Parts: sequence; structure tokens; C-alpha cells
Amino acid sequence: MALNDVKEWLYGCSRCGTCKDILNIFVPACPSGEMYQLESYYPSGKIAVARAVSEGKLPLDNDDTRERIYACTGCLSCEQQCGVYHHQHIFEIIQAVRTEAVGQGLLNPAYMVMVESLKKDDNVFGKPKAERGDWARDLDLKDAGQEKVATVYHAGCMLSFDRELWNVPRSAVALLKAAGVDVGIMGAGESCCGGRAYEIGYVGEFTKYAEHFLETFNSLGAGRVVTSCSDGYSTFRKLYPRVNIEMKFEVRHTVEYLDELIKGGKLKLTKKVPMKVTYHDPCHLGRHLGDDGIYDAPREVLKAVPGLELVEMERHRENAWCCGAGAGVSQANPEFALWTAGERLKEARATGAGALVTACPWCERNFKDAAKEYGQDIEIYDIAEVACRAL
Amino acid sequence: MIEAVRSKVVGELEKIVGARYVSTNPADLYIYSQDMTQAEPGWPDAVALPKTVGEIQAIVKLANREKVPVIPYLAGGNIGGLTIPLRGGITLDLKRMDRILEVNDTDMYAVIEPGVTFGHMKACLEKHHPHFVYTYAFSPPSTGVMTNALLQGLDSLSYRYGAASSWVTGLEVVLPTGELVKIGSCAVSDGWQSLAPLPELAGLFLGWQGTTGIITKMAVSLWPKPKHSVQMTFLFMDFEGADKALKALARTRVPDDIISLSFAWAGQEAFVAQSHEKISPYPALPRKPDDPEIIVSVEITGNTREELDAKVGVIEEVARQELKGVRMVGPQSAPSTSAFFPMQMLGVLSSGGGLTWVGSYGPMSHWLEAIKEGCALQDKHGFTRTSYSRVMNEGHFVGLRWLLPYDKGDPVLVEKIKALCRDQMEMIIRHGFIPYKTPVSAIRQLEARADPEWTKLHRRVKEMLDPNNILNPGRWGAPPA
Repeated sequence: MALNDVKEWLYGCSRCGTCKDILNIFVPACPSGEMYQLESYYPSGKIAVARAVSEGKLPLDNDDTRERIYACTGCLSCEQQCGVYHHQHIFEIIQAVRTEAVGQGLLNPAYMVMVESLKKDDNVFGKPKAERGDWARDLDLKDAGQEKVATVYHAGCMLSFDRELWNVPRSAVALLKAAGVDVGIMGAGESCCGGRAYEIGYVGEFTKYAEHFLETFNSLGAGRVVTSCSDGYSTFRKLYPRVNIEMKFEVRHTVEYLDELIKGGKLKLTKKVPMKVTYHDPCHLGRHLGDDGIYDAPREVLKAVPGLELVEMERHRENAWCCGAGAGVSQANPEFALWTAGERLKEARATGAGALVTACPWCERNFKDAAKEYGQDIEIYDIAEVACRAL
Repeated sequence: MIEAVRSKVVGELEKIVGARYVSTNPADLYIYSQDMTQAEPGWPDAVALPKTVGEIQAIVKLANREKVPVIPYLAGGNIGGLTIPLRGGITLDLKRMDRILEVNDTDMYAVIEPGVTFGHMKACLEKHHPHFVYTYAFSPPSTGVMTNALLQGLDSLSYRYGAASSWVTGLEVVLPTGELVKIGSCAVSDGWQSLAPLPELAGLFLGWQGTTGIITKMAVSLWPKPKHSVQMTFLFMDFEGADKALKALARTRVPDDIISLSFAWAGQEAFVAQSHEKISPYPALPRKPDDPEIIVSVEITGNTREELDAKVGVIEEVARQELKGVRMVGPQSAPSTSAFFPMQMLGVLSSGGGLTWVGSYGPMSHWLEAIKEGCALQDKHGFTRTSYSRVMNEGHFVGLRWLLPYDKGDPVLVEKIKALCRDQMEMIIRHGFIPYKTPVSAIRQLEARADPEWTKLHRRVKEMLDPNNILNPGRWGAPPA
């Protein structure tokens, strides 16, 4: 979106500050504002900046000004707390200022590397495209590009290239196979969903990936795409409909699909997994989906694991504190990303849980890094990894 | 501020609070240069966010040495133009000082820092002291408790206890010259329970808009939380009926809160806003001939059901006996207004980023003529009637204002708002009402009408406390331009 597209919402905010805290419990809601404290880092401040840019009162050619606009994880907690008519468009406004900066040629070096990598290797990590399917090399999975399958498992950039997280997609496909699902992958033929490019203001790159993805998957004839990446999932669900191509397959997040398989009696979790865990709601699986936010399915899957005890953090479901990795922050501002995750780990530890379980590789990666950075003694898992132990 | 001074001051600020908490970035300066009202923007030269009292003292001493203004900025919206720098300087954002330092269960007070909001206070009391309440203002939950008290705001218990400054029981203040002083019982003992029986030095700081000191701690009274509550609502067809009712209800000494609202606005804005739609009082919303003029809401609480019922009976008796012949509907029972916190303001925050008002405190005896004329001015300027009144201190005075939400992106509307506010301001002062959160222009208007000795005293107090005129200069106590 460009600033012109969000003009209707630019004047909605009076900077009343309601977005700063979670309604009713009044603990911090906005990672950016909470870390930096200056008003320009809060959602209301960013909207004011957007307004000033739109009115020509504030140029974007100041690195520190743009840094404030990029210091947002796109968690949408502000949109959850605000009740004013523009409330569902706050991140759109921030994203529009980012697009404006890109349009003015004011590029963030960290993102330039990412976008170059997208152009060259179809991923955001600068990794060779040929290595994309390595996580599944010994699994003997069907190649969905070569033979028709009912379900395509989409690993996404993070799970494809982060070896420390390979147990997540491997657990996910093990669970699907245990449930008798006819599953395949695209392997090296898989590409980025384009969601990250959209969030950092590269709308053209996003559109290119969305069109490619839709055309490719429509041609496969698979009825379903399952992904463990919440970022990717929300991109498919929320952003792809903006591209004028019909999606001829359904998209399911792993937790959503596992919940269905368990409830349908197709997946049986039988072994005891004696763990006390707390669940972190990924923003892209919750708030990003609005009224369709997926909050119950992951909890249902965890409750189906014999012997597992689930305890909740103070900020959960719609009011969950962000992991800190979203909207390009982990690439461009690791200090902010880790601080945000560190705050969440403290909250998780306060529950008495020995492990934090989530359903997004971006969250998992950032939590693992933060646990190491801050010496937090807590294990980090994806739900699929925990559920797989019960097979 | 000239660049050489600015860079020197900024360098020293960074040493005091850390570079991370000092900004001269144009985005920050732009944001602190304005608020939600139509007040003219004014840019600070720098923004600093101290965390400790010692840091504030060091900044104030630096400002004195360099003759640089300091504008205290507390939790909340900092509205009314009161923290918009008139002469540049350092905006001192105190939100990092956000602790509730003590809740004294026996003496029923809380000691807070400048960054504590109504939301924080509510959450703290509900979690750790559920038998207490503070109050809530007709403002967002992020409003500062200290801000509200310093500006003598009106709250949900103002009928009982008066303006919010009335329940301040102690202060800790950094003086404009950097010394730290305690005010009230905390100055002579460990307790923060009362300002009395001592010379009331709190008056040197309450209502002064941050021009005489920077409050670093404040003690405020807490109140036992009644178990039962109900709101009783009356609809009056004319101002005269509402006036009669307010006076009669005020003398019962029964309610916790008595407010009145123009039906033309309050009858629909909340419903529209809760549907996340935009609503504006301009142009005037259509009215039906049989629409009521004023809604009066009476908040009643009781420790027992029997006490609540008895109080309801008193109000019903007033309606039967003293409001005979008044064209009205009610009273009808409704859920307590406290149930709407924290979103009770939504209706007046949904017009496009702007909210202003002409607000005042004045005598009940002049309420009828003032509200009629103020609403007539809204008619004349083409606005919906948006009056909001609150009976204060058991009827000894009344808060009267017209809430004016507006679209900041509409420059024509902004000019209309300014014109209406000018007319209403002149009118209320003429009727003996005194503007609160007093903008500079109204201060000057009041000074022109005031006893010259009163104005001189203000200036002497300000000069005595702030010889270099560094604290929020240009407002109360400002020397003649």
C-alpha cells in the first residue's frame, strides 16, 4: 500500500495512548514503544510521522526517522487495543511509509541484502536455492512438482535453511504421514511466499512471488497446502487475496490441520510426554487473521498430548506479546528483536513452565537466540516437535 | 536555542540520562510539538526521558545554567496545548518513572510516580488491593493519574470530593532551581496521609501547569470499593428541567457522581463509535422535534444491597416530589458507568484525530444561562450540541464543557472549531466560569479581568520559585509580554 491508499486512516489517531497497554490488564502491548520509550516508536507516533510525511512536513531522508518506522514488528497488538475507526489499518499505515521510503530510493541496507537474495535465490537468507529441500533429503517424500499429491507441505524460508530448526518440518511431515496424509514437498522448487518483502515495503517483489506461487500451485492440482510457518500462512490467507488470481487450493496451518486429524481420529498421540509448557501465540497466526485468528487449535493439539501440562502466560491469545522477529526486525534490528523475545521469555518463565512452545519458525528462532543471549533456562519447541514425541 | 547551546545541552543531557533517552530527531520533535487539540504547534529543541529524581535535578540545574526552558510531559495525552513548548527548550518526558511506590491499606493512599496511568492504577488495585478504587476520568486509560490531579481534573468521584487536586495528600517536587522538597505530612513524618495541618504549600504546584516545579512523587487518596452500584438516568426535554434536577439531586448528598450530557450528541456517538465508524459533530446531526435536550446520569453505590436500594429510593423520591411538572423521562436504571472503562472516551475520539473543548468550572447558579448560551453558539456555528457537565463537590460548583471532536485533516473544519471555541470561551468567562486546563490565551483573558493584585501575586510566586523562568514558560505567572 502507498500513503495515498491509507489517507482515509491517517487522521484517525488522536494519540490517546490506548494502544500502549493491553486493555483491562494494563501491561505493555507495544514492543517498539516499550523498548525505546520515545513517542515516535509507539504506533500513535508512527501514525503521526506518516501524517507528517504525507503532508510534506517531515522528510524521510533522515536515517533515524526511517529507523523508527522500521522499528515495528507488525505484531498488530495496537490494532487489538485501539477501538477507533482506523484501528485495523495501523500497520498498513506503517507499511505504507516503508513503501514510500522504498519508492524514494531510501533503502535500508539490511533489506537490500534480503531483497537481492530474493531476486537471486528466492529466499530471504542469501542461501543457494538448490539447498532449499535439504531438510527432507533422507525422508523419501514425494516431489509435488513431479507427481500429484493431495497435500503439499510448504516449509518456507526459515525452516528450509535453518538447520537447527529442521526437526520442525521433519516432525510435521512425520505426523502427517502417521495420519495417512498423501503429502509431498516442492523441495528446491519451493520459493518464498513474499510476505516479508511486503512488510518491509517492497510491494512489487511481493506481488511477483504471490503470482508465481499461485500460478505454480494452481497448476499442481493439489487440494491443500499445509505450512508450519505462521508468517507464510497469514501471507497466503490475508495478502494473496489482494492479487487478482484465484487460489484453487486450501491453505492450512500445521496446527490447524493436526487438530482436525486428531479430532477425526486419524492421528493418535499415545506416548506420554511429561512436560509443563506454555504456548506463545504467533502474531501471524492470531491477530493477523482478525476474527479468524487461530488460538484454540494449537492448545487443543497440546492438550491431546498425553502427560503434557499447559499453562498460560498473562498476555495470551489476542493479547500475546510479540516474539520480536516480525516485519523484518530480526534482520535489520537484532537488538530490538532479541530484547522483545527476552521479555517474552521472562513472562514464560514466570508461569513455571520448562518449555515455551510455539507454531512459527520465526518466533522459535528468535526465542532460541534470546534464550542464549540472556541465559534464560527454558526450552523452545514447535508444537509439531512436541506432538511427534507422542507418536 | 542557538545551535552551539543546543549541542552543548544535548551532550550533557546524554551524559545525564544516556544517549538512548535523548532525541533531537525531527520525528520526535514534531510529535511533541502538538497534541490532539487545535493549539498552535511549538517545537522543542530536544526530548529527554529521565528515570530518576536525581536525573531530573541534574537536568533542571543544567537548564538554569544555560537558561533553557524545560517542559514537563507526564503520562497521557498532555492535552490542551499545555506541554507544547512556547519557547523551545527540553521536553522532559517522564513516562519512564511509572511505579506505584506504595499502597497504604490502613491510611488509604497510594504514592505514585509521574508515569502512572489510570489503567496502571486500576490494574494494580484490582490485582493486589481489590477492596480499593481510585477514580476514572472521562479520558483514555493512558491518562496520567498525576496529570489529572495536577490539572485539577474532574473524575467519577468529583461529586463527592471535588476536583482531583482535592485528594492529593502529599508531593515530592523538584523545584525550578533543582532542590528536592516534600510537601504535606511526608515532609515531617514517614506517612503521606494528609496535607493538613500544615501551611498548604501544595498550592504552589497544583493547578500551575508545571510552571513552578516538577512533581516526582504524589500521594493520592484511595477509596473503599462499594460492592453494589447502579446508574440512574433521566432524560430532560429542556434545559430548565435539567437545571432543576441537577440542583435537587446535588442536595441529596447521595450519589457518587452526577453528570449531564447533550442528548443530541450522546444519544448516538457512542453507538456509532463502538461500530468503529467515524462520527463528527459537524455539520450538526439531525434532531427530531421530540428528542430530549439533556441526559442526566446519577451514579449510586452501596456497601449492601439494602443501602443501594435506600439510595435509589431517595433519588426516586426527588423525582416524584421535586421534579413535578418537569418534562422528563425516568429515572431508569442502567449498568454502572464504571463498566465502560477503559473505552468510555471512544465516542469523542472517533472524529479524525482531533479533540478539543471549552471546559470550565463555575457556579451552579449560572449553569442554566451558560449551558443555554453555549449550546446556542454551537447551533449558530453549525455544530451538534455536545455539552458535558459534572456536578462537583456535592453541588458547590459545576464543571461545564463542550466536547468538540474533529478531523485534523480538514483545515476548514479546524478554523470553524477555533471560531466556536473563541466564542464559547468569551461567553463562559462572562458568566463567571473559569477555564480549566487553561490555554495561554484564556490565561491572558483572565488576567485582564482579574484583580491586578491577584495577577501580581502569581507573578511573584513564579519569579520567587523560578528566577530564570525555565519551567514551561509563558503560562501561569508569566511576566507581561
